[in-house]
Amino acid sequence: MRLAGQSAEDESVLRLAPGCDPAHLSLSPAEGFLLSRIDGRTPRGVLRRIGALPPADIDRCLERWLEAGVLERVRASARSAAGAPPPAPAPAAPALPALDPSLEIGLELQRELLDFAARLDRSYHEILGIAKDADERAIKKAYFAWSKRLHPDRYFRRRIGPFAPLVEACFRKLLEAYELLSDPQTRGEVQARPVRAADAPPARRSSLEARRRLRERVGALAFAARATEERRRKAKSFFEAGMAAFAKERWLEAAGAVRLAIAFDLENAVFRERFAEVQRRAHEERAKALQKQAEGALELRDFPQALRLFEEAVHYRPADPELAMRAAKIAQALGELRKAKELAAHAVELAPDHAAYRRTLGLVYRDAGLAANAKRELEAALRCDPSDAEAKAGLRGL
Amino acid sequence: MGRVIGIDLGTTNSCVAVLENGQPSVIPNSGGYKTTPSMFAITQDGKRLVGHLAKRQAITNARNTVFAAKRLIGRRFDSEEVQRSQELCAYEIVRGPNDDARIQVGGKTFTCPEVAAFILREMRRVAEEYLGEPVGEAVITVPAYFNDAQRQCTKDAGKIAGLEVLRIVNEPTAAAMAYGFNRSGDEKVAVYDLGGGTFDVSILEMSEGVIEVLATAGNTFLGGEDFDRRLVKHLLEGFRESEGIDLSGDAMALQRLKDAAEKAKCDLSGRERVEVNLPFIATGPGGPVHLSVELTRETLERLVDDIVQGTLKIVDQCMTDAGLGREQIDQVILVGGQTRMPLVQQAVAEHFGKRPHKGVNPDEVVAVGAAIQGETLVTQDDNLLLLDVTPLSLGIATFGGHFAKLIERNTTVPVAKSHIFTTTRDNQSAVKIRVLQGESDVAQENDLLGEFVLSGIRPARKGEPEIDVSFDIDANGIVSVSARDLATGKEQSITVNATGTLSEEEIHKIIEEQELYEVQLKE
Repeated sequence: MRLAGQSAEDESVLRLAPGCDPAHLSLSPAEGFLLSRIDGRTPRGVLRRIGALPPADIDRCLERWLEAGVLERVRASARSAAGAPPPAPAPAAPALPALDPSLEIGLELQRELLDFAARLDRSYHEILGIAKDADERAIKKAYFAWSKRLHPDRYFRRRIGPFAPLVEACFRKLLEAYELLSDPQTRGEVQARPVRAADAPPARRSSLEARRRLRERVGALAFAARATEERRRKAKSFFEAGMAAFAKERWLEAAGAVRLAIAFDLENAVFRERFAEVQRRAHEERAKALQKQAEGALELRDFPQALRLFEEAVHYRPADPELAMRAAKIAQALGELRKAKELAAHAVELAPDHAAYRRTLGLVYRDAGLAANAKRELEAALRCDPSDAEAKAGLRGL
Repeated sequence: MGRVIGIDLGTTNSCVAVLENGQPSVIPNSGGYKTTPSMFAITQDGKRLVGHLAKRQAITNARNTVFAAKRLIGRRFDSEEVQRSQELCAYEIVRGPNDDARIQVGGKTFTCPEVAAFILREMRRVAEEYLGEPVGEAVITVPAYFNDAQRQCTKDAGKIAGLEVLRIVNEPTAAAMAYGFNRSGDEKVAVYDLGGGTFDVSILEMSEGVIEVLATAGNTFLGGEDFDRRLVKHLLEGFRESEGIDLSGDAMALQRLKDAAEKAKCDLSGRERVEVNLPFIATGPGGPVHLSVELTRETLERLVDDIVQGTLKIVDQCMTDAGLGREQIDQVILVGGQTRMPLVQQAVAEHFGKRPHKGVNPDEVVAVGAAIQGETLVTQDDNLLLLDVTPLSLGIATFGGHFAKLIERNTTVPVAKSHIFTTTRDNQSAVKIRVLQGESDVAQENDLLGEFVLSGIRPARKGEPEIDVSFDIDANGIVSVSARDLATGKEQSITVNATGTLSEEEIHKIIEEQELYEVQLKE
């Protein structure tokens, strides 16, 4: 939906001339409806589109009323500051925000929202912008169309500033209007009756204002919309929390927080850079913890558990040949030769000139019945350390 | 910006989907399956397993394998549902400090959100592997008939799994979104969702990109597993009669029976009769005894017919709530694995007088809808809008044990409503606000979501103070309540902290602990 033509004329705003009583005019219901929507805020382009008459007729009416002195033009600069005009004093409506091009919400949509908000205390038909005799289909159509503009999901994470409470109040009123108008029983009752009267029994009027304020606050909290910037801000706060944890050497917590920061702001190179460092530390912490647990399991002679823990520790500290070698030896003792071979080969890869590693790998191959490989590794071990007695014994046994 | 995934966290199976170039795709796990069993296990040597790995070892490790934990989430230990579960599960259910139900396996006690988080984390991992980038945000679905506590717990689970939960969406609504995605025209749709553990029905109206839920109804303790259970019971009784052996105390035999029953049930959707063969199921006086029986589709249908008829009653209640007659429904969508059963399809078709829609995959459609909703939210797509409702009435307990409903069921969310209450005694200085969810007029027959006290009310005659109680249900269906003495301005508010929900601290502790085990989960 867009306005037909964005001319200066469309942008102009009209209001009722002070001291003029429209009751003296003789108007058709449609004209009366149009007049009721002139509130000193709604631009002409909007009036033309949502009035009950064809645009050309609306223009004719407006010109006629301007000539007759019923209406006057509002100066553009005064518009946003203009208070509620005489025919629509709106005690229950929150102060309307001004148009703000810096918000993540189009100016046209802002105008439509203001327009909706300005008639919150009118009859339910007027709120929905439908004729009094509108049928169920038309009511639903209007409800759906306005839902698309007023449902909080439409503004999910958008920065909409003062429009947040406004949208929320409008959506609630929309639901109320629809609820009452869509039910044939209540439809007759509320027909054309101003909303304020139906809102609460008179005895409660004194507390209405307090209730409204309370509701607004609760509602604004629940419906707070967030925006891209807020997403970045969130990423930043995760990152900062991560760095704080980092400073306190709580590496795991730090890694978790920075990971979340990256998820919220994938483009941020700083986060990624720091993540590598944080993750390294977190891994080291895990490796240490796991190694300690593994030693404990060894003491208890729970070898399968120790192997599992050592293996995990190797996963987190892959550059430590000694760790891999310890795991390899346990695996060998348990007869898990495939695992033992992998771990030993890993250690050898890290420290190719270490005789004991080569020897262990060779002996694992021997256990697995792979004589050629065993021979190769044991010979390599002897090249690194010709005095290695175990390697010699191993070779002889092949 | 990271991608938003949609996760269908099911009772028996879970599924994850994402939108790629505007087209939804269901993400297969490393085994190539598009759904992953919602199972978690701890092996003898302390390994934690999730999904297919957990399922594979369930027979030999029944006591330490958790399935259908969704049935326990957000429930009190004393509730009928938990007690019923206890009889059927080989794993141990224990009472938590907040009277919530917790699960004991491998010598350790887990909260239900923790167990759900294991599954969610696995789904996140599946998605991350597929997308090749970290995933931080998700939309997670729950049965429409879940109450506030169950929703809160599911949200907590997401947090533990390292996910920002953008929205909790109702399963039938998600299915309708998937159906309505890229489809124009006005339609009234009924979604019949019979999953592993829950049953939901929703009536929706779609027009010009707006999907409005008219009404929803269901039973969070009725699903495909009840079918399995009937079949297990049938097999147990048959075996007792023919062999004189009672297997009901044997955890391993029960697990084998359960697996066999589930398989037989699925096979009977395509065939008229199947053989159930379980060799060496027990040892009798004369040596090993085998179970070998033939099951027919007719037998199965006879065993579960009343369950299926029961779902149709709920359908009727929902139609009444929506104010529609059966003939006004344009399309019927079947969701959930159990709707593959010919008896269910036939019963639904007869009930509505039309054949159900064939175009959606009942196992995947919910995750797809969740992904669509996630994408719609973050891209601020204004062509698709969901107007969902709260499934249960919300209110407070009043004098005499009555339930004053403030927000009726099937009210569109988000919604905020307030009402003024007063004191019942002269000079009463405090009131206790008990927040309830349910449909009974008797307060104690409803779910207690939480309670809080508003004190410091100025002395006055009874009936004079004005206490304004405001209720707020957000788009996730999650409730917050505040009460205010209008004379003093004193205010108390809570985000209703219900059974089994965790504090920030607890969540944080669990996250740390799970990180330690991450490598094991990756196995």
